[in-house]
Amino acid sequence: MDKKNNKPKAFWLLRIFGGKWQFLTIPLLSILFSLIAISIIVLLIGKNPLTTLTSLLQGSGWLPKATYAAHKNMFTDFTEFLDAMTPMLFASLAVIVAFKAGLFNIGVSGQMLLAGFMATIFIGYSSLPSALAWPLVILVGIVMGAIVGGFTGFLKYRFNINEVVTSIMLNYIIQYVVSFFINTRYVDAVSRQSRAINPAARLTIVNFEANDLRFRIPLCFVVAILAAFLIYLLFSKSRQGYEIKAVGLNPKAAKYAGISVGKNILLGMTLSGALAGLAGVTYYLGYYNTIQPNTLASMGFDSIAVALLGNSHPLGAIFSSTLIVTLTKGSTYMSSIVGVRQEIASLITGMILLFSACRAYIKYKVDLKLSTSQAKGSERGKV
Amino acid sequence: MAKNIIEFRNVTKRFPGVVANDNISFSIKEGEIFALLGENGAGKSTLMSMLFGLYQPDEGEIYVRGKLEHIDSPAKAASLDIGMVHQHFKLVSNYTVTENIILGIEPIKRNLGFLPAVDINKANAKIEELSKTYGLEVKPTSVIKNLKVSEQQRVEILKMLYRQAEILIFDEPTAVLTPQEIDYLLEIIRNLRDKGKTIILITHKLEEIKRVAERCAVLNRGRLMGILDVATTSTKEMARMMVGHDINWEIEKKPAKFGETVLRVSNLTVENEEKLKVVKNVSFEVHRGEIFAIAGVAGNGQVDLADAIAGLAKATEGTVTLLGKDITHAHVRERNTLGLSYVPEDRHNVGLILDFTLTDNLVMKNYFKPPFCKGSILQKQQCYAYANQLIERFDIRAANGGDTLVRSMSGGNQQKAIIAREISENSDFIMFVQPTRGLDIGAITAIREKMIEERDNGKAVLLISLDLDEIMSCADTIGVIYNGELLRIAEASKISKNEVGEYMMGVKTDG
Amino acid sequence: MNLVIIDGLSYALPLLIIAIGGIYSERSGITNLALEGMLGMGAFTGGLFVALFGDSFAAGSNAPMAFAFLFAAIGGGIYAMLHALLCIKFRANQVISGVVINILSVALTGFLTNQINMSVFGTSSNKFPLSVSPRITVPGLSDIPVLGAVFTNFYPFEVLILILFGIMWYLLYRTRFGLRLRACGDNPHAVEAAGVNVERVRFWAVVISGALSGIGGMCFAYSISTNFSPSIYFGAGYLAIAALIFGNWNILPTFGACLVFGFARSGAYQLVKVLEMSSSVTDLAMTIPYILTLLLLAFFSKSNRAPRALGEIYDRGKR
Repeated sequence: MDKKNNKPKAFWLLRIFGGKWQFLTIPLLSILFSLIAISIIVLLIGKNPLTTLTSLLQGSGWLPKATYAAHKNMFTDFTEFLDAMTPMLFASLAVIVAFKAGLFNIGVSGQMLLAGFMATIFIGYSSLPSALAWPLVILVGIVMGAIVGGFTGFLKYRFNINEVVTSIMLNYIIQYVVSFFINTRYVDAVSRQSRAINPAARLTIVNFEANDLRFRIPLCFVVAILAAFLIYLLFSKSRQGYEIKAVGLNPKAAKYAGISVGKNILLGMTLSGALAGLAGVTYYLGYYNTIQPNTLASMGFDSIAVALLGNSHPLGAIFSSTLIVTLTKGSTYMSSIVGVRQEIASLITGMILLFSACRAYIKYKVDLKLSTSQAKGSERGKV
Repeated sequence: MAKNIIEFRNVTKRFPGVVANDNISFSIKEGEIFALLGENGAGKSTLMSMLFGLYQPDEGEIYVRGKLEHIDSPAKAASLDIGMVHQHFKLVSNYTVTENIILGIEPIKRNLGFLPAVDINKANAKIEELSKTYGLEVKPTSVIKNLKVSEQQRVEILKMLYRQAEILIFDEPTAVLTPQEIDYLLEIIRNLRDKGKTIILITHKLEEIKRVAERCAVLNRGRLMGILDVATTSTKEMARMMVGHDINWEIEKKPAKFGETVLRVSNLTVENEEKLKVVKNVSFEVHRGEIFAIAGVAGNGQVDLADAIAGLAKATEGTVTLLGKDITHAHVRERNTLGLSYVPEDRHNVGLILDFTLTDNLVMKNYFKPPFCKGSILQKQQCYAYANQLIERFDIRAANGGDTLVRSMSGGNQQKAIIAREISENSDFIMFVQPTRGLDIGAITAIREKMIEERDNGKAVLLISLDLDEIMSCADTIGVIYNGELLRIAEASKISKNEVGEYMMGVKTDG
Repeated sequence: MNLVIIDGLSYALPLLIIAIGGIYSERSGITNLALEGMLGMGAFTGGLFVALFGDSFAAGSNAPMAFAFLFAAIGGGIYAMLHALLCIKFRANQVISGVVINILSVALTGFLTNQINMSVFGTSSNKFPLSVSPRITVPGLSDIPVLGAVFTNFYPFEVLILILFGIMWYLLYRTRFGLRLRACGDNPHAVEAAGVNVERVRFWAVVISGALSGIGGMCFAYSISTNFSPSIYFGAGYLAIAALIFGNWNILPTFGACLVFGFARSGAYQLVKVLEMSSSVTDLAMTIPYILTLLLLAFFSKSNRAPRALGEIYDRGKR
């Protein structure tokens, strides 16, 4: 019985895309397609795609630049990159946790803003020493984010309100309210943003001097990585994680199994909000030390791209946030070197998102081809 | 000599992992009632769906009226005067009867001379006429979701007749009907044949084939076993061809020996989302060693009753007591712990989490207890061990054992998994709703035997089924539910199938 | 008081046309959270036309504005094909697809506006300026107390929207296209069995939602900011979704919901002015439509009846 002839062409290619390696190959494909699309666009506006991409990497500290300012080198660029990656990692974890509970937390920006704002006015403007300020900032971040997230989850559980609509509404409400307060009470006349916080409360140490270099130390970077691992453990090993996943995948079956659906939706969104709050304080009181009124951080939306690209897996988020932040961070340098507009970074992110969304289709088609070929094989074997 | 109106030549159809139809060739004569016999999963519906244009054959040809045709859509099938009454009705629930029937071929009028609009009045009139001509009484302006199942089926039939179908395919039409409604339907089918239509009847019910069909094709696991002349073939022979061996329909059942009352339902009333009472003042008891079966046409409150007992639906009035403890408002988990197991009707949306592994599904009811859980940490090893035990004991087939995603398992094995899980809980009370729906004969007999085994082991079993044969063969006590009320409770040996059928239609009432 | 009605209507009507677009898509079974992105893309296309060709018209002519609306509809409709493609052909999760479309729209329009301004005009700007839209007052009718405000100082696009409202209502509830579309959202298998191509109906439903959203976006561009800029993305698409949820996916009640939003917003704005509070307070007043949305959703979400097959991926093979 010669089964080999029944396999469709490129069977081994399909085996790579199907089955166990899907979690890696499909995101890689999305990235590849996006890079190709972007290179085409860059070529169309008459620039060099290769220098565009390398300057993106240089801007984020992955490759050395041609020249550096005083006391700066690739390492200092890299720590700045890590500083930018910290809030993004938290934000994408927030999205992932909500996904696991079957919810779409698109309100990360609003949760970030409220957390950052509250931490700013209560701790950032106080004269507490760092030893007290840092843990308090983190605490306020967690609590404020959890409250907004929990509220969103509550509205979903109690009133069945679509959480996407709630989150968007809350985003705008928070944005306007915070703007109001900044503009009326906390504004810095010169910068038109909120007054800078007390450096002691800032979660990033700026201008740390060593070896004749001045660089940033993002204090919470390690916390973010740790959080990713903890979330991973939560969902793969714990009982609570099992319940949240069950509710996210099939609330009716979860109820049948005796799991409390409402409680887990609430828990999922609260945890998600808490992570978003951490993103907020590491963003507004870490990477930045002031809040710009009337804007929502685009990070809140880019984190969705990060989550999807990382297959909604907490550890995958570490890699995908590295990628996306490299793009955004490097785009300032890139635009000054190559002359391509900065917005192209958000365009790349958008395209990656687009291709990631097609992932289900790729998976479907691949699974279909694989199992049809299996059926053919088993049929020939029938007596 | 009537000519062949349909011919299948070497038709083959494959789906992922299975060959649904394997090299099938036969023909159907014009004006005959032709039956397609096979157990669940034999490939009957698939074959006819190709005739109706929902699928296309991977190999082989279909000839209609002697001409080779590529039926690539239901519209093409309709143009060939082929119509189909589906097993799961394809009706728009919030549309009227008329709107459902005319969908796709709506009559148009011009408002104000130029604005196109659907001419509902004209359609209503036509359908009124049609329903009278064929004896399929139904009000054209009724909304589908307010109609009984048998009335909805009439709408499905009218859909075909409105399109002047000449070849009518009926897919398992009697599965949802009472015995009396079945008689009525078979009469309608004979009428249609007398008016010159060709009827194809897909079924696994041998007695019905005997009553109306002239010839019959038998399918077994996708293969055509043979074409039989119904009048001269016994049901025993048909059954043997269908399954490959003799079927013993009689299930061995020891005489009933009832013990203490395990479940007591008193004056239970349940309201649905729209505040309508779907279960009205129901009272009954189930004892140790008893199989209490509730018969009824679909949609008369059975599932709501089961959900209320299990804790998935809220009881508005009345009480449910398990081994003396009042569980009327207890949380689902509390009921499970006290000794309640539930095999639900909806396998995919309630009984299983399709995107979880088989192991995760098998421990769904006890993952939170030691030894499966220590504190808040799941003990994966224990879960695997338990799952493997169940997989072996109940012969659950899954490609990767415990790691298989349940979504990729076959329907029969999914049901086995649910039953394995629920029975292994060793609860004093276990509820089965439609446990054998859509399964092949082997699985059906195995499940019925398991139910009886549990009853013999002193468990209290509640069986809710739409299959009257199943109820008659398994039950010790039979209750009939109609419109949310339990019209009659009787010992199984003291009530006839026809009587049950009459109660199912609400014709009789107790007293 | 009059201002409340005038401003309220000019806000409510564009919201309505976007919501009607949403209704078309969702009644056919495709969840459409992408209204925000579609309205932005429509406004971008219209603004692009004006920026490129506005000068070839006579000064003071209203023709560019008319063309802008036409191109806004075309731009929105074509962009919507992306959502249709993702949801129908690629079977993507429709909620994710909608959000992706929105994010992509912001990125794409931002990038392109900047790029085109730079390459074609040599300016560094993220806006396309538009002409100021004329406002019409009907003599006589506008003198009626209270109701007269409806006929005072309205934008021509409001008339366009009312005409479209009538047409789209009739199309959805009286024609066979509408009958089939609404059936797709309840039971696509029934529709397929009736011989209608479900995927095609849904495709056009989504394209219609894109075209209508584009028109709505263009209205906002003309009325709120007189330009196309990133500020067009202020959440109107999501407010429209909330409106159609209150309206239980039917056009007439949705009209009511949009009116509520419009008047709430203009009412709050006028209140701030009348009470002579500082302009920062308008920021607070701006939150009113959004808070209102949450409150109304809380009361209405439990009893609403979404289309039965909404959001489900249509699989022909399933029976």
